[in-house]
Amino acid sequence: MQIARRITQVLFLLFFLILFVLAAYPYESFLPSDLFLRLDPLIGFTSSLAARKIILKTLLSLIVFLPTLLLGRIFCGWMCPLGTTLDGVDKFVKRKRDNQEKTSLFRFRWFKYVFLITIFTAALFSVQIAGYLDPISLLTRTMVTVIYPIFVFIVDGFIGSLFSISFIENAVFSVSEFLRSTILPVQSQSFQGSIFVGLIFIAILSLSYFQKRFWCRNLCPLGALLGISSKFRLYKRIVSDDCTSCSLCHKQCRMGAIESDYVTTDQYECINCMDCQTVCPVNAIEFKFAKKASSSKFSLDRRKTLQAGLSGLITMSFFKIDKFNTVNKEQVIRPPGALEEPEFLDRCVRCGECVRICSTSGAGLQVTALESGWEGLSTPALITPMGYCEHNCNLCGKVCPTGAIQDLTMKQKQEMKMGTAHFHKTRCIPWYYGDNCMVCEEHCPVSPKAIQFTTRTVTTIDGRQREVFLPFVEESLCVGCGICTKVCPVVGEKGIYLTNDGETRFQIDT
Amino acid sequence: MQRRDFLKATSKFGIGVVAFSSLRIHASTESPDLVVVKDGEPGDLLTEAIKNLGGMNQFISKDDVVVLKPNMSWDRVPEQAATTNPELVAEVVKLCFNAGAKKVKIFDNTLNEPKRCYKRSGIETAAKAVGANVFHVYERKFKKVSFPEGDLIKSWELYEDVLEADKVINMPIAKHHSIGGVSLGMKNLMGFLGGNRGRFHRDFHEKIVDLNTMIRPNLTILDAYRMLLRNGPSGGNLADVALTKTLIVGTDPIAVDAYGVTLFKQAPESKAFLTIGNKRGLGQIDLNKIKIQTISLSS
Repeated sequence: MQIARRITQVLFLLFFLILFVLAAYPYESFLPSDLFLRLDPLIGFTSSLAARKIILKTLLSLIVFLPTLLLGRIFCGWMCPLGTTLDGVDKFVKRKRDNQEKTSLFRFRWFKYVFLITIFTAALFSVQIAGYLDPISLLTRTMVTVIYPIFVFIVDGFIGSLFSISFIENAVFSVSEFLRSTILPVQSQSFQGSIFVGLIFIAILSLSYFQKRFWCRNLCPLGALLGISSKFRLYKRIVSDDCTSCSLCHKQCRMGAIESDYVTTDQYECINCMDCQTVCPVNAIEFKFAKKASSSKFSLDRRKTLQAGLSGLITMSFFKIDKFNTVNKEQVIRPPGALEEPEFLDRCVRCGECVRICSTSGAGLQVTALESGWEGLSTPALITPMGYCEHNCNLCGKVCPTGAIQDLTMKQKQEMKMGTAHFHKTRCIPWYYGDNCMVCEEHCPVSPKAIQFTTRTVTTIDGRQREVFLPFVEESLCVGCGICTKVCPVVGEKGIYLTNDGETRFQIDT
Repeated sequence: MQRRDFLKATSKFGIGVVAFSSLRIHASTESPDLVVVKDGEPGDLLTEAIKNLGGMNQFISKDDVVVLKPNMSWDRVPEQAATTNPELVAEVVKLCFNAGAKKVKIFDNTLNEPKRCYKRSGIETAAKAVGANVFHVYERKFKKVSFPEGDLIKSWELYEDVLEADKVINMPIAKHHSIGGVSLGMKNLMGFLGGNRGRFHRDFHEKIVDLNTMIRPNLTILDAYRMLLRNGPSGGNLADVALTKTLIVGTDPIAVDAYGVTLFKQAPESKAFLTIGNKRGLGQIDLNKIKIQTISLSS
């Protein structure tokens, strides 16, 4: 069983990685890249709760949720890519032996329920914070902004150094071209907030020093949700009378789900990894459907539940009342097809899937820092001049697991206005320096062009007369894609910038 | 290596340029300076044009490494006429190989996201199918080189492969452009540039000429099978496209572009990049002074 589990785990992790790599232009695979996110009940329930409607896309999460009621946390033990990552990391951890059994470490167990209750309380008030701690969302975001860029940076640097060796240049070139056609991007990758996302991830991995799967036991809100759902599970660990109380299973258990009588199992915590079954020298342990089995007490009492609810209210309020929430957000350009801001924020689970696929296209989307307030932390926005929105691309809506960004047809997308460009007349080359430029006009993707120009004769500083094309923005034609800002050759603050003025934000009838 | 040596030589002895170009004109006295083929499909237009110039062997020698520069800078399909016709590109690749070329490289420092441009222009698929080496540019392969004949551009980043190529064939598409008025062959070479290309647009005409003193295509094939008449160079609207079924081929970059300008019903002399280029000895702007052969394939 253990081998079967390991293989399953590795396959799911691989599947997760493959889906990640496939979230790229031209995105022609039949596999939806947001599959894991849509299978995630925490994401499904909270976004539906926050948005006050059942989001059909997320109903897929019932595939994970319903079997949990019967079987327990199999998702955690067999499928979760973060769980598998932590199991993998565990192979490299040298832990003080007694850490595993230190009872003091078990007191953190209820933290995850606090997180869970906090998340649900917030969702009840339409504040979506599940994404920050949800393992799938967190891992996807980390993949997008940290792990993959680091991988690219290292591989690219390696190839770069090999390129300088002339006699293998052709071979290196072939390898490099192959990698570019499969897993490497052709554009360099850089993401806002990588360091913070990375540090959180490193912290999660580092906690394994104290306990196996510290994150899963003590912190993971999805684990908490699935744990509670396992309360009445029928598929259980059953210990027969052959047990010699050797304590091997107790020591082995990666979730600390076996009590020190070696018989009682914590049904909320057991993830069916079946290690105990494998290590048992007398084959006294079995996993089977059973009505009764000795179970541990739930680690959260009424008082803690109340505390957790209160913490949810306060956290939720913090997200709402901070100054950052009330400042002007006219520079926040949402992806094309994003729902109206309140509902967009309710639904967005901060996974960064749209940012990933955009990085293979116009590379305009980034996860926000505080540009859109605390409530909008880590949500996607078009950040120029780093990138732009590709006029012929509608991929972000295709990978959004909750429909916060709608899946638009190409025609709908191209008619969608994200914002408007404006000239900085004291920065723009023709306006300020009286020299011709027009790079923005050249790149403007709409036809007729939203950047047009008038001709004016100017007198230069040395008294010569010169004709200059002076650009202006025709607001009704501008879609706010931002390529003008990206290509503006002005060094420093660009001669043209975007606001979300005139953006179209509404639910498309389907 | 011939090209590089040539570039080196010209940088040292300005007189070398004069000698070489006169030699080139002399060598092609029997065949026309410019061939214009009309009313046919892309492949046929090209075959006919090259035949009348004396065959691809005139331009490509055995074991040459050829760099082909179509315009594939935009995320557009061929029908939108913002990028060079893919059939045309494939046909040129074939002719190069028939003439004994060792390798045909195709790349462009694109203006939209590269993978999209390569794919949607149809050039990647068409050219790879006939054996060309189509790849995306590598940032590290842009080398800052000095432009010995540059007036305003003293040095700029150029792609290594074009500096090392034995032969360069320029394959622009005839398009409207707001600054130049038109975007033809001379401007198309910008796809070899790295660095902050936006800055190129100040004193655009002079800089385009500077670039053309540095990269001298052995052949320019101007695709006017479809022409983008308005809202260039990115286009996008099919209403701005004219199906003109014309191809202009020649070795003189100024002459090819000068003819291209007339397709837009404008005078070559109205384009500063042509008059400046002409003055600096890059080629002939006066179409009356060169031998133009016009062929129609409709019968």
